[in-house]
Amino acid sequence: MRSKRKRRFIIACLLPAFVLFTVFMVYPTISIFMMSLYKWGGLSANKSFVGLNNFKILFKDANFIKSFQNSIFLIVVVTLVTMTLAIFFAAVLTREKVKGQNFFRIIFYIPNILSVSVIASIFSAIYEPQRGLLNGLFRLFRPDTWTNIQFTGNQKLVVYSIAFALIWQAIGYYMVMYMSSMAQIPNHIYEASGIDGAGRFRQFIDITLPLSWDTVRTTLTFYVISNINISFQLVNIMTQGGPDGASHVFLSYMYNQAYNNSSYGYGLALGVVVFIFSFGLSALINLVTKRDTIQY
Amino acid sequence: MKNTKRFLALFLALMMIFVVACGPKQEADKKEPEKVEEKTDVKEEPKEDKKEDAKEETSGDKPFEGKTLKIAGLDGGYGTEGWKKVISAFEELTGAKIEATFEKNIAEVIRPQIQAGNSPDIIYMAIGGEGGITETMIKEQSVEDITDVFDKVPLGEDKPVKDKIVPGFLDTNNTNPYSDGKTYLAPLFYTPCGLFYDKAKFADGGYELPTTFDEFFELGEKAKADGTALFTYPTAGYFDSFVPALMNEVGGPDFFNKAMSFDVESWKGEQATEMFNLVGKIAPYLQEDTVSNTNIKDGFKNNQQAVIDGKALFIPNGFWLPEEMKETTPEGFEWGFMALPAVKEGGDRYAFTFFEQCFIPKDAKEKDLAKEFVAFLYSDVAVKAFFENGGAVQPVKGAEEMITDPGNKEIYSIYADGAKAAMGGFVAAPPVEGVDMKAALYETINSVMSGAKNCRRMASRSCRSSGKNICRITVIH
Repeated sequence: MRSKRKRRFIIACLLPAFVLFTVFMVYPTISIFMMSLYKWGGLSANKSFVGLNNFKILFKDANFIKSFQNSIFLIVVVTLVTMTLAIFFAAVLTREKVKGQNFFRIIFYIPNILSVSVIASIFSAIYEPQRGLLNGLFRLFRPDTWTNIQFTGNQKLVVYSIAFALIWQAIGYYMVMYMSSMAQIPNHIYEASGIDGAGRFRQFIDITLPLSWDTVRTTLTFYVISNINISFQLVNIMTQGGPDGASHVFLSYMYNQAYNNSSYGYGLALGVVVFIFSFGLSALINLVTKRDTIQY
Repeated sequence: MKNTKRFLALFLALMMIFVVACGPKQEADKKEPEKVEEKTDVKEEPKEDKKEDAKEETSGDKPFEGKTLKIAGLDGGYGTEGWKKVISAFEELTGAKIEATFEKNIAEVIRPQIQAGNSPDIIYMAIGGEGGITETMIKEQSVEDITDVFDKVPLGEDKPVKDKIVPGFLDTNNTNPYSDGKTYLAPLFYTPCGLFYDKAKFADGGYELPTTFDEFFELGEKAKADGTALFTYPTAGYFDSFVPALMNEVGGPDFFNKAMSFDVESWKGEQATEMFNLVGKIAPYLQEDTVSNTNIKDGFKNNQQAVIDGKALFIPNGFWLPEEMKETTPEGFEWGFMALPAVKEGGDRYAFTFFEQCFIPKDAKEKDLAKEFVAFLYSDVAVKAFFENGGAVQPVKGAEEMITDPGNKEIYSIYADGAKAAMGGFVAAPPVEGVDMKAALYETINSVMSGAKNCRRMASRSCRSSGKNICRITVIH
């Protein structure tokens, strides 16, 4: 009797959340999967079922492959560089006595409060060929012979330009996360290792890193997800995939196909691939980085 | 004791529920009548006015009295003042009520409405606009046939619309996208597009204006020696006026129309090759920062500024350019405007005519009223209102006579001075996943100009894309 009542109570408590979850998460996901099987422009009732044809076209679409390459490049490079730099700066700011520590914390964190459109404007000003910050700086050294570097005009350079902007905006956020976990490591461990003759680098490798490994692991998933989202926003505002599709990432290409090319179903097929890809990648990362948790 | 406590707690809880439940209701009760009163006040007053007006007008019939028309449109370069004036004039004439939404990001605003089956009665968004709503609706065959609108006589006038519209505007791929002799989109606000230049550079003792492409490239060499580039463009998308004009010059309207109907042979033929080669030939004379600027936020303005600063001689654009660049144009700077140079000595010179469109979706609720309104857009009242509030020129005979600004007058008189008009774009074809013919043709130019691709690869990409579109058409029909 009591357990029945208890069960009812539990169900009643869970129901609202379950309903909301179904309506706002499960249903849209399933409907996206469904709609990716149709040829549809997205605005009328004229849908025609084409099975997996959208996916067949997708894997032959050179533009999609290019945008996929760009996305993977950004995920790998931005994650590696951001992680290395963020951990380095976090270790320096927590372990070392640096003058103006708080000042640096703020400076590093500022990009994070800015919206992506502001970041796009800032980097537009930095990469601008004529009056831009970078070209202007280089021209200072060779005023007569300097030819502008085309950061956003050269098909080979443009992805690096976007990667740089992404790294710049992400470092502060992850640095703060790493700092908080590093600050919790008790000081006596460092003191003990110091007595044993461990240098700063050894302390970092054997104490700081293993003891904040859980945070690093968690943030790796963040990197993948936020990278996919923010790279899309940045590309959409700054280059719109240009020049000639060279800087498309998969979400910007999806947007382009779903709206500008009137292929909504195809765009959703792309969305499904992105969904599976990011889900899989996060799972893989989780698996690969699994270590026994070290506690202190 | 325990029981009384329980009772008290229950009583207090009930009281609270009661207070919470009744509080707002009472307020609402108080507010509602006021609102209703206000509403009725507002509604009644104009009705009475209108009735009186109607009596005074003697005719007395306002066929659309009480009906509501929904209009959604882009708050673009011309602003919305003109629309507001036209709307209030129309409301006065018909007694209908118009709900208008004009937004800068109108595509995002109305997409969910259309998807929910609640689309506006009239949509003012030009082909090529951000978000691709117009193209998608054309491709999905959800645009209403409005051929009969042009037989209508605008309210308060005596000439049918088709006699007022400048000839040619109703025979383009943009207004008749299915090539079935029927009109689906109404042409609005036109501007000639051509090449802008700094007049001072071509004044006495300076350069000479090229009349053929040979002279154009010769000038390029000369300018290069002086450290100036021949050409720049705001973004690759602006070639949608340059390339069609060039295609008309190379192969005449016949070739242009065939190519715009995705005829693969036309894209493979000699004329197309000549066109691609001419585009490719511009690359060495391009202002070096052009492509970079097309890929940064608001970078198109840097490219436009390059002409003002004397870094480039020519830029393809429409009449809005001088106004757009007003803030950074030094005093005394004068814009010149010309059609594209001819391909051969004595050949035709073309200037593309860019115009916007509005249309009635198939599932509009007030189609008759919407058609009446579209016809009214060509009335003298509307033409004048659009021009005086934002400078939009309707494709109505004599509309350009209203222009008094000497710079704009020069731009609009380009056809009177001998240039031929090129109009329209690709016909409507079912979408092909992953293939966008416009991108294949215009965006590739960015690659040609930056040296990543040559014009031969551009040609083959265009051929392949047009072929795919054709394949899909034959499969579906």
